[in-house]
Amino acid sequence: MGLLSEQDVQYLNDLFSKEMRDDVRILVFKSDDTSRCEYCDITVSVLKEVTDIDERIKLEVYDADDDEAVAKRYDIKGRVPAILFLTADGQDKGVRYFGIPSGHEFSTVIQNIISFSNGANPSLSPASLEKIKQVDIPTEILVFVTPTCPYCPRAVLLAHEMAKANDNITAAMVEANEFPEWSMEHGVSAVPHIVVNEETAFIGAYPEDMFVDHVVQHVLG
Amino acid sequence: MFFVGGESNVRDYYDVVVIGGGPGGMSAALYAGRAGLSCIVIEGNSTGGQMNEADVIENYPGIEEIKGPVLGEKMRRHAEKFGAQFHTATVVDVDFSGQMKRTILDDGKIISSEVVIISTGASHRKLNVPGEMEFSGKGVSYCATCDGHFFKGKKVALVGGGDTAMTEALYLANLVREVLVIHRRDKLRATKVLQERAFSKPNIKFVWDSIVREIRGNEKVEKVVVENKRTGEKTELEVSGLFIAIGIVPNSEIFRGKLHLDSQGYVVTDENMETNVRGVYAVGDVRSKGLRQIVTAAAEGAVAASHAAETYFG
Ligand SMILES: Cc1cc2nc3c(=O)[nH]c(=O)nc-3n(C[C@H](O)[C@H](O)[C@H](O)COP(=O)(O)OP(=O)(O)OC[C@H]3O[C@@H](n4cnc5c(N)ncnc54)[C@H](O)[C@@H]3O)c2cc1C
Repeated sequence: MGLLSEQDVQYLNDLFSKEMRDDVRILVFKSDDTSRCEYCDITVSVLKEVTDIDERIKLEVYDADDDEAVAKRYDIKGRVPAILFLTADGQDKGVRYFGIPSGHEFSTVIQNIISFSNGANPSLSPASLEKIKQVDIPTEILVFVTPTCPYCPRAVLLAHEMAKANDNITAAMVEANEFPEWSMEHGVSAVPHIVVNEETAFIGAYPEDMFVDHVVQHVLG
Repeated sequence: MFFVGGESNVRDYYDVVVIGGGPGGMSAALYAGRAGLSCIVIEGNSTGGQMNEADVIENYPGIEEIKGPVLGEKMRRHAEKFGAQFHTATVVDVDFSGQMKRTILDDGKIISSEVVIISTGASHRKLNVPGEMEFSGKGVSYCATCDGHFFKGKKVALVGGGDTAMTEALYLANLVREVLVIHRRDKLRATKVLQERAFSKPNIKFVWDSIVREIRGNEKVEKVVVENKRTGEKTELEVSGLFIAIGIVPNSEIFRGKLHLDSQGYVVTDENMETNVRGVYAVGDVRSKGLRQIVTAAAEGAVAASHAAETYFG
């Protein structure tokens, strides 16, 4: 049996036929070295199962070391597994995942598939979009999560929506267990833990306006 | 586990808007859907509510043992099967002044509906001691399933003595070196089976008759100061983390002044779960009542949706 149940597949099939428009490209970067990447195989497998459901979803699997040029273009820095989404015409909105998006986090992958298939327009309030426009320097949002945290997927989605709204912003989910050193560097001991431009901005789950405010304020100082 | 919940476009009107995707809300959505009503569940975090923090549930009739998030996913699918829609957003305001109710979301959307079912549940109660705010996210945590991993092999403390506290202590005991349970009385409030399980774990130790006075540390939690209520003696416990499970507070702030709340902030309803505003219902942990469990939340969701279907769409 696959990682997704028959019901899951049926459910996604219905959802994608109703909600998808154009093709979506999912790029996944892996390493065959299991000591370096415990969850690479399973990440690729589950994405394969999803892409098998609708032919508009195109999966491209790269080796983070061997396919150096691609990894470099998308700034993967050897962190595997890494996932990113592109629109049909190859637009990279800066949406990233480092580590496996399992548990509730996986539903954000489904949301991103639908979003990128419809042009990756940010789903945020006009007030938030106005604030996000002010971000005029390259900004990286990292949302550290654990797969068992129910408060994390919303934070990941909000960060991803911010990336879609402004080309200066990239936003990544980081699965803390898989990157202990990276997590330690930022003192992560509770999730969601949000790092903006290499500094901890805030810890905890917030509604949209507060999340956006916190990030924007952190960037603008 | 991979949860695949997806979303469709949100419309301006539904017969029933359910605020909160815990067991109460999802049961209401299931019953509303089966009654032929259009229904949307607005959930600010992940569907499942507090069940997502329950490592194992073993008191939902017919299901001997299940992981909380898995039961949540099953309830969601079940409601979706009968047509209920789900949307991730936080409700920031409501307007119950007219016959047509309006629910205002943080993503800018506004949804109108004939009926609103409130199932916003409850959040973790804070200790309100020095150091709690300062070290929140730096060793102080309210969610063992979220943050337990960060304390692998370390010694932690946990405050509380109820079912939730013992469930969390048992979960943590499998991850950390030692759990010190700090409780203000000399016996637990938790259900017998959970007590026995906790007592039989060699790495769960108890600090009885004690209250937390202060949380100390430099960058992170290093010490928890407890006071023995009988002797008045203060002790410093050296731990890397403090988990707080001392009860809940209702998520009812946005309804204050709009609905009748009891002295503790829980929403008051009649036996059909209807509030003092016609067409507005409250179910589950947010409701003024006795037992707060998954089975009671689910039952109340059923009562509310059935009553709404008969009364307003009959
Ligand atoms: C660790 C733990 C273990 C437990 N174990 C058990 C057990 O074994 N058996 C048992 O029966 N019970 C158990 N419980 C209790 C049980 O989970 C609750 O009684 C039950 O979940 C209450 O359901 P509910 O639908 O009323 O609310 P909740 O489950 O609290 O769900 C409410 C939902 O509403 C959402 N929400 C709140 N405000 C808003 C807003 N403004 N906008 C949008 N969404 C909002 C929240 O994000 C949440 O998801 C446990 C609880 C915990 C914390």
